[in-house]
Amino acid sequence: MGNLIKGLVAAAAITLATQAAHAQVANDSRLTTVLERGSLLCSGHNGSFLGFAEVDDKGNWKGVDIDLCRALAAGLFGKSEGHLEIVPISWAQRWPALQSGDIDVVIKVSGWTQSRDTELNLAYSRPYFIGAFQVMAHAKLGAKTVADLDGGTLCVGAGTSTERAAATYLESHDIEAELLTFENGDELRNSYYEGRCDGQVEWAPSLAAGRVDAPDGAESHVILPDVIALEAEGIIVPEGDPDWLDVQNWMLSSLWFAEMEGITSENVDDIRANPPSETVAKFLGVSPGYGDRLGLPNDWAYNMIKEVGNFAEIYDRNIGAGSPYNLPRGINALYNAGGVFYPMIVD
Amino acid sequence: MTASVMPAALSRQPVLGVLKKKYFATRLDAAVTVLFAAFIAWIVWSLVNWGVLDAVFGPNQGDVCREDLEGGACWSVVSTRWRIVLFGLYPFEEQWRSGIACIAMVVVAILSCIPWFWSARRLPVLWVVGFATFYVLMRGGFLGLAEVTEQNWGGLSLTIFIFAAVSLLGMPLAIIFALLRRSKLPWIARTMALVIDTIRSLPLLTIMFTFAIVMPFVLPDWAIGDKLYRVIVGYALFFACYQAEIIRGGMQALPNGQEEAAKALGLGYWHRIGYIILPQAFRNALPPTINQFVITFKETSLVTIIGFFDVMASGRAASGTAEWNFAVVEMYVFVALIFYVFVFSLSRYGAYLERRLGVGRR
Repeated sequence: MGNLIKGLVAAAAITLATQAAHAQVANDSRLTTVLERGSLLCSGHNGSFLGFAEVDDKGNWKGVDIDLCRALAAGLFGKSEGHLEIVPISWAQRWPALQSGDIDVVIKVSGWTQSRDTELNLAYSRPYFIGAFQVMAHAKLGAKTVADLDGGTLCVGAGTSTERAAATYLESHDIEAELLTFENGDELRNSYYEGRCDGQVEWAPSLAAGRVDAPDGAESHVILPDVIALEAEGIIVPEGDPDWLDVQNWMLSSLWFAEMEGITSENVDDIRANPPSETVAKFLGVSPGYGDRLGLPNDWAYNMIKEVGNFAEIYDRNIGAGSPYNLPRGINALYNAGGVFYPMIVD
Repeated sequence: MTASVMPAALSRQPVLGVLKKKYFATRLDAAVTVLFAAFIAWIVWSLVNWGVLDAVFGPNQGDVCREDLEGGACWSVVSTRWRIVLFGLYPFEEQWRSGIACIAMVVVAILSCIPWFWSARRLPVLWVVGFATFYVLMRGGFLGLAEVTEQNWGGLSLTIFIFAAVSLLGMPLAIIFALLRRSKLPWIARTMALVIDTIRSLPLLTIMFTFAIVMPFVLPDWAIGDKLYRVIVGYALFFACYQAEIIRGGMQALPNGQEEAAKALGLGYWHRIGYIILPQAFRNALPPTINQFVITFKETSLVTIIGFFDVMASGRAASGTAEWNFAVVEMYVFVALIFYVFVFSLSRYGAYLERRLGVGRR
């Protein structure tokens, strides 16, 4: 009799444990819809957005945002090939397309603003990219920071948030530089190249793209590390779908976790065969739990890393050192390398 | 004796004379002529220099273009990435299908310009065959052809498809609208006028956006269809409203006697419309109709706003990478050239039709 009770209690405990391990994904969650459909509809671009969504010679998408789409599809289905559709959409179209179900998720360098978060019924993941407004200066000036441009001239777009941010920055840092404003982006760039101003203030990835195409060569220009202002770019899903939002957040966390642990697309198989710690073993799906709780396969993080690599690899390949843009990681690095990003705890 | 058999020595004199009389009559004339000739020569020379002499043509020569700092055009961007402009995001290995489909559509359009095809039996058959060929090739999904959804159609093929579909849907609709607006029953005529004026007062962009993005929230599931077809329907409606007014204008230019004479001969409504009114209305309305087609062709590039890779968006994507971002101008020139070829042929064909039908002379 005592044994029977013990047995019952043990059975109940096991049942509870397994129930706890298998998260209940709501039936109306977008996650369920996507898994049943067998493919992910991710946001593309109508044209291209340098470094984040471009089209290669064979008409295939590439870029940071595209790689995040691929990572997500690989995490959900084991590999992205055949399970990912990049739907070309315009800027204006992204929110209605998300609500109507034309796409499952918006990964389209979209800044986290209060009105979008509250009024538009959107839910943001944690940011995956900090779009910094920075200064590009002529290399021959030898400037190392914006403070070195004291007494000089900066070109900036007229009436933009950039102009306001630059003015505030100069004032608060006691830098005496003149702001020269331009209505037109091309005019601004040309004036800078012709030497009207010592530096130009712009969104960092755009600066990097412009630097590559500078008429006197990329080496003649440096992007100064000071951050004038920030825009946090996140992944967006419809409001009120916590299961789907969890997947986005843990996808990003996994990419940073892999970077932190030194797991890359190349060594992921070795590390998985011989995990250095119980945490990494769990992360790569050697021991169960990491996927179950989200309603995903346990090796989902392994599949993502295998396909697109960790966050550093994604960054370098598309806008960082491994790409023509050669944009320094800066604030987008992990916290231990001077950036603002960090993985969450894998337990 | 006609000019063509005149000896060269004799004909040269008058040419010089004409030149002198028209362009060098006074010193001022001579100065203006020389100045303008020099100006035009300078522009042509700069263009030739930029576009041909200093230009880089071969594929994959982006680095050569970059180093060549004061140099000319970098057509390398076109020779490397022309397939994106023509086919958009269509799968690379399957692009021959998109190419053939595109050619088939152009051939059908050219054939339907030949008077032999202008009969109520031949023309519809021709276009049905043309559209079926296009759809089967582009969409695939059987006979061993991989399926390619409308989502991935793009480039010139998509532009031509949208244009052809809008024209073919819009034209009959326009005739119906025009006839309804002329109806003897005031409530029909007024309702039609209201519909036409309402749609005409909305920007095309709004209509496309509504059909592509708002409709799925409103329509029942079975009626939604693919985004591409919703947009075509919306655009066709827009086209029809403008074209209906053009046709109505053509009808109003007809003397009342035409219809009265037809009535006196005992012709029924459809015979009067089909044999007397419409043919003459179309002849009167030919120049604005060609105009409408040209505008429609060019405005297809608005579909980029709802995420389609038409030839314009494809051009932007083709130059929008780290490697080619400096060659934006060359890419725009190439896309402009494509538009030019189509629109110019359309205009020339319109001019031929006007001559043939004697518009403005009869």
